[in-house]
Amino acid sequence: MMRRYFTLWNVILLSVFAVLFFLVIYPMFSIFYASFQDPETGQASLESYQKIFRLPYYLRCLRNSLWVSGLSTLLSLMIGIPFGFFTSRYHLPGKSLIKTLATLPLILPTFIGAEAWILLLGRNGWLSNLLKQVGITLPSIYGWQGIVLVFTLQFFPFVFLMVSASINSIDRSLEESAGNLGAHPWRVFRTVTLPIVTPSVVAGALVVFYMSIENFGVPQLIGEDYRVLAVQAYNEFISEMGGNPSMAGALSTVLVLITFLVTFVQKYWVERKSYSMSSLRPPEIKRLKPFPTFCVWLFCAAIVFIALSPFLVILLSSITKNQGPVMYFGQFSLKNLTQAFRIAPRPIFNSFFLSTVATLIGIVFGLAVSYLVVRRRGPVTYLLDLLMILPLVVAGTVLGIALAATYNKGRIVLTGTWMILVLAYFIRKVPFSIKTTSSILQQIDASVEEASINLGVPPVRSFLKVVVPAMLPGIAAGAIMMWVTTLAELSSTIILYYGPWTTMTVQIFQYVGSGDFGPASAYGTILILSVLIPLFFLHRFLGRDVTATL
Amino acid sequence: MRVRLNGITKTFGSLKALDRVSLLIEEGKFFTLLGPSGCGKTTLLRVIAGFASPDSGEIFFGDQRINHIPPYKRETGMVFQNYALFPHLDVFGNVAYGLRARRIPKEEIRSRVHQVLKKVQLESLSRRFPGQLSGGQQQRVALARALVIHPRVLLMDEPLSNLDAKLRVAMRQEIRKIQRDLGITTVYVTHDQEEAMAVSDSIAIFNHGAIEQVGTPSEIYFRPQNRFVAEFTGTSNLMEVKVTAYDEEASLLTGDLKGNRVFLRCTQKPAGETLTILLRPEWIKIARDEEEPSTNLFHGQVVSSTFVGFMVKYQVKAFGDQVLAIEVQDPQEHEIKKEGDLIYFRFHANRPVVIAS
Repeated sequence: MMRRYFTLWNVILLSVFAVLFFLVIYPMFSIFYASFQDPETGQASLESYQKIFRLPYYLRCLRNSLWVSGLSTLLSLMIGIPFGFFTSRYHLPGKSLIKTLATLPLILPTFIGAEAWILLLGRNGWLSNLLKQVGITLPSIYGWQGIVLVFTLQFFPFVFLMVSASINSIDRSLEESAGNLGAHPWRVFRTVTLPIVTPSVVAGALVVFYMSIENFGVPQLIGEDYRVLAVQAYNEFISEMGGNPSMAGALSTVLVLITFLVTFVQKYWVERKSYSMSSLRPPEIKRLKPFPTFCVWLFCAAIVFIALSPFLVILLSSITKNQGPVMYFGQFSLKNLTQAFRIAPRPIFNSFFLSTVATLIGIVFGLAVSYLVVRRRGPVTYLLDLLMILPLVVAGTVLGIALAATYNKGRIVLTGTWMILVLAYFIRKVPFSIKTTSSILQQIDASVEEASINLGVPPVRSFLKVVVPAMLPGIAAGAIMMWVTTLAELSSTIILYYGPWTTMTVQIFQYVGSGDFGPASAYGTILILSVLIPLFFLHRFLGRDVTATL
Repeated sequence: MRVRLNGITKTFGSLKALDRVSLLIEEGKFFTLLGPSGCGKTTLLRVIAGFASPDSGEIFFGDQRINHIPPYKRETGMVFQNYALFPHLDVFGNVAYGLRARRIPKEEIRSRVHQVLKKVQLESLSRRFPGQLSGGQQQRVALARALVIHPRVLLMDEPLSNLDAKLRVAMRQEIRKIQRDLGITTVYVTHDQEEAMAVSDSIAIFNHGAIEQVGTPSEIYFRPQNRFVAEFTGTSNLMEVKVTAYDEEASLLTGDLKGNRVFLRCTQKPAGETLTILLRPEWIKIARDEEEPSTNLFHGQVVSSTFVGFMVKYQVKAFGDQVLAIEVQDPQEHEIKKEGDLIYFRFHANRPVVIAS
């Protein structure tokens, strides 16, 4: 009986490996392979790589990518670290609201942020027009400035979250004992607090860098001629003059190498450097004098306001009268919303349908992987745990290119079906599901399962009857996170979608590209609300912080 | 149900967790596996439950060989160290779980659950969830859940180790009472020798995956067969004695203890020339002075003296540089000695136990 039981899990293990192979490893290998082929003759060639590192046109893409990502990381640290310190160490009015709102930019789609900044500060932007009337001309939002602005405002919460989690894990006695040993408060901060927080700061910085370099929508919308790797890979692949698979492959490979390096450092260096402490008494929350409190509060509140204002702009724009690209702020109209709902609801349906199917597959897959990795420890499951980094490493654009190039011919043809979208979403977002389910599974002692088996229920049924119900809150949290982030997915969708399966994100993207901010904002509003409402319920009913999953 | 283990061996990698363990646990007995952590006692319990399969050896419940029977068909009731209550089910749901798995009619489930909850005094809490219960209450739920299925054998894995000292004593008496009432064969794992003696009919002492001795609590305490058992079951003074003479008629052995003549009662002539003898601290009595005529009267110097209320614990340096533990009950009868004082002590020739070395 025991033998048969093991075989069942082996079948599951094998299917998990097969999924990883067909959705990540094989497609990645095939674009990697293509990158070493001359597109015309099919001969082995290093030409594409030579071009990237020799031709200024391509070299600039690499430099641009590193520049915007590096700068955004630096600015995120400059905002995120003080924000984290202030909100964890000082009493501030409305602090819990500020902290909750500050995490929202992480979940809201970045390309909608880009659209909003164009509406505000673009060529015909509301704010730039307003300032022009009083004689102030702002520097252009297009190019790297705009990209960095959007990245910084949307990604700084990663730094803030990691820093505040780390600060709160320092037991009060640690700083007290440093003080007791004769160190001044500043010295305590420098020699005790800061070194403990450093690994988290680095971890936050790496996440920001990674998120920035793999982003496609923001540089595409607001960068204009400022090309980055993700955008260039997309252009090479989609090019109207017939794509260049070799060049697209080479650019993807370079991008993946960078993201792989970042992820690797994150996982193996930072995690090892982190100090784990069981904090018994969290640090004291200090009360500052009124004026310093006001200054600190103003800093935090202003940051949150600026970071969220783009989304308010979108909500406002969706009910504003417009004529083509010209928005008449102050004059209201429901035309765009009704149009989205009545005349063109298909993208809404598509987004919901695709996300739901991808999430359902993700729940099952996440459950299986978590069980294997947490409960059946061994060399094979360890390998599985390692391989599960792959979906995280591959940027959305790259995954899209890889899947499209692999499954457009041969035995399995998926390009041009809705299934390829579901598969791309599933593999890209399933780490959310795995992370939440495996962390909750780790908290459930294996003896609970054994107790059930001991009481007469066979192993697989025991798992379903006892472990799964106990895991439900975690599964639900992971599923909701997977669902909302899939809904907002653009970078692989833009490569894999086709006519009837246009999603909301593609629709918004195209409307912004053609300057139709009215309908773009209408879909944007629907998308923002579809993301926020489930998260609200997650927060309300499961008492679960969204941020635990990120 | 009688449980019989025959030559059970189990290795984890290079570690021998169980080394040819054979045991016979009689029907209705409370049997305890006692030993230090990592000695293999929990592994043996898991072998009986079916969660670990032995590399070799046989397990019998009654006359039935159960090696091939999967854990969920073994009909054992296991109480886990951390209770392993199902967090999503209330007390009633937890206790009813095993009955529902057996497709027992609803009415019967209800009455059996209530009956067993009454037995563990939890009737009023049947709608609470595990998270709302104290450690002791969770312990009772775990016990009730194991008992309600009328298991063939009750298995308990250090069930009291997560409770505080007072509750531990109360719970162990309760467990023992319930076990007696139901007459259920019980295998109990603990590393606490006092707990083992308080509840068991029989104890098996484990060390490095093998059994050192099996016996009743008093056999184990008063007649330990070797040094490990002696030291594990209580404070032990172990001394080397050289045999000088043996009087068969009187069963009296005369020996030499670092130049002092010592008399020991021995039913048969020991094989070796040197013996290891065990003296428990409470077997040694304090003498007023050397004038008190007695055999086995010795003296030493107090190294430390600890007054704990109902007794005084002395560390006494005697027989050269050996340090003996001596415990004196009702300390007011004697003057309490201080560090550095000279102290006279004696023990009856019947008391020392000869340990096979």
